[in-house]
Amino acid sequence: MKIIKNYLPLAMVMVMGLLMLGSYYVPHKLSVDYVEQMNKWENIVFAFAFLLGLLSLFVSHYGKIRRRQDGWGYSIFVFVGFLIMVVPSLISGGKQMVDGQVTGLGWSFRYVYNALSATMFAVLAFYIVSTAYRSFRIKSAQAFVLFVAAFILILGKVPLGQMAWESVLGWTGYGIDRVIEWIMSVPAVAGKRGIMIGIAIGAIVTSLKIIFGIERQYMGKD
Amino acid sequence: MKENLLKFLKIDRRWIFLALAMILFVPIIKPIGLPNKTISKDVQNAFNYLDKVPAGSFVLFSLDYDPSTRPELHPQAVAALRYAFKKNLRVGIVTYIAGSTGLIQQLIEKVPAEAGKVNGTDYVVYPYMANAVAAMTQMASDFYGIYDKDIDGRDARSLPVMKGVRNYKDIPLIVNITGTSILDFWVAYVGDKYNVPVVGGVTAISQPGYGPYLQTGQLKGLIGGMKGAAEFESLVKEPGKGTSGIDALNLAHLMVLLLILTSNIILLVVRYL
Repeated sequence: MKIIKNYLPLAMVMVMGLLMLGSYYVPHKLSVDYVEQMNKWENIVFAFAFLLGLLSLFVSHYGKIRRRQDGWGYSIFVFVGFLIMVVPSLISGGKQMVDGQVTGLGWSFRYVYNALSATMFAVLAFYIVSTAYRSFRIKSAQAFVLFVAAFILILGKVPLGQMAWESVLGWTGYGIDRVIEWIMSVPAVAGKRGIMIGIAIGAIVTSLKIIFGIERQYMGKD
Repeated sequence: MKENLLKFLKIDRRWIFLALAMILFVPIIKPIGLPNKTISKDVQNAFNYLDKVPAGSFVLFSLDYDPSTRPELHPQAVAALRYAFKKNLRVGIVTYIAGSTGLIQQLIEKVPAEAGKVNGTDYVVYPYMANAVAAMTQMASDFYGIYDKDIDGRDARSLPVMKGVRNYKDIPLIVNITGTSILDFWVAYVGDKYNVPVVGGVTAISQPGYGPYLQTGQLKGLIGGMKGAAEFESLVKEPGKGTSGIDALNLAHLMVLLLILTSNIILLVVRYL
């Protein structure tokens, strides 16, 4: 039993992991075919993951409605939203336009999903502006550096700011675009590169731990 | 006086919402037409790469944005696509974001018709694929292994637009416009590995994150946010939504600056006077 529950999954992960890792560096046909096959498998697994995610979402929200939990009314909209998109999609065979005519799915996308999604994102702008006023306070030397960098970047992002910079600081010979370019290509890139290298090393270490069976959380508890 | 200033510091945020709404409302209803004076190096590079692709070549557009980032990214896609058609390039459109499919539909309803381009002959749209990395890797050996049919169900191999296209070796440029991290995948799994030039279009908020890729030349050019869209539109001489959106962007940015300055001046006054 232990072989099936423990050793077999570990061996599978190790073999598949090493083969995938090796295939990245081996341009042989066998290696390419193997990657292609794995990609197809991955897509199939992806489809099942979608289904599983959807079922999990439904069960969770159905539970909220059944128990009349706080905010249960919002959960109804999960099902309403799902039906608004899926029913027209099934009827129109997934097509948004047929012979120049917008189908039910096309209509739902344009006038429901489009509007809702754009509204959600647009509302963020209001919160960002309000938060900038309330939170962007210079209370330390670090906050001052952040303030100066943010101020220059925001100013340089818009033509009106560029014009303001030129009229006040044009005599220095440093255009705001040059200052922004320096901020973006020296301190910003240095910080970002450090983060990227850190993430990459972390990902490599985690992958190797999984491949060699040191990290086994994916196998469950028992 | 200090009390009054402190009250102003704790102003009800609904007043700020109202002020922003009014500031955005005016230029949207009646554009002021503020000039866009500079062209950034990254946008210029993006344009140059698209510009130097020989006529008749096949360029792959990966349009991966949904309605939430539409105001910034759709104008970029429209401008880039218009220029590709103007240059008589063959265009393939793919997406790895389900929410993009409707926006791509809106794009192809309008842009190809303006240039007199024919679906299947001058351009082709492929269906949504869930797993971006798997699809990108697959296309390296055989494009049709993952995209055997276009969005209308036609055999991709038989389409005139795909003539001579088998894998990345036959694609001189990839343009990825996205509000996600898919551009990172294009750079890492395709640009670097198969030496295909990749040009990106991203939201203003994610633009600074691509600095390292631009500096090393892994990313050939980058259009950032609505300003980037306006700059690209001015390069291709096709003013669109990017250019007209600049007014609202201008005023909203200046409002943010004024609010930050005001709150800090008040803080200084309260603390030291």
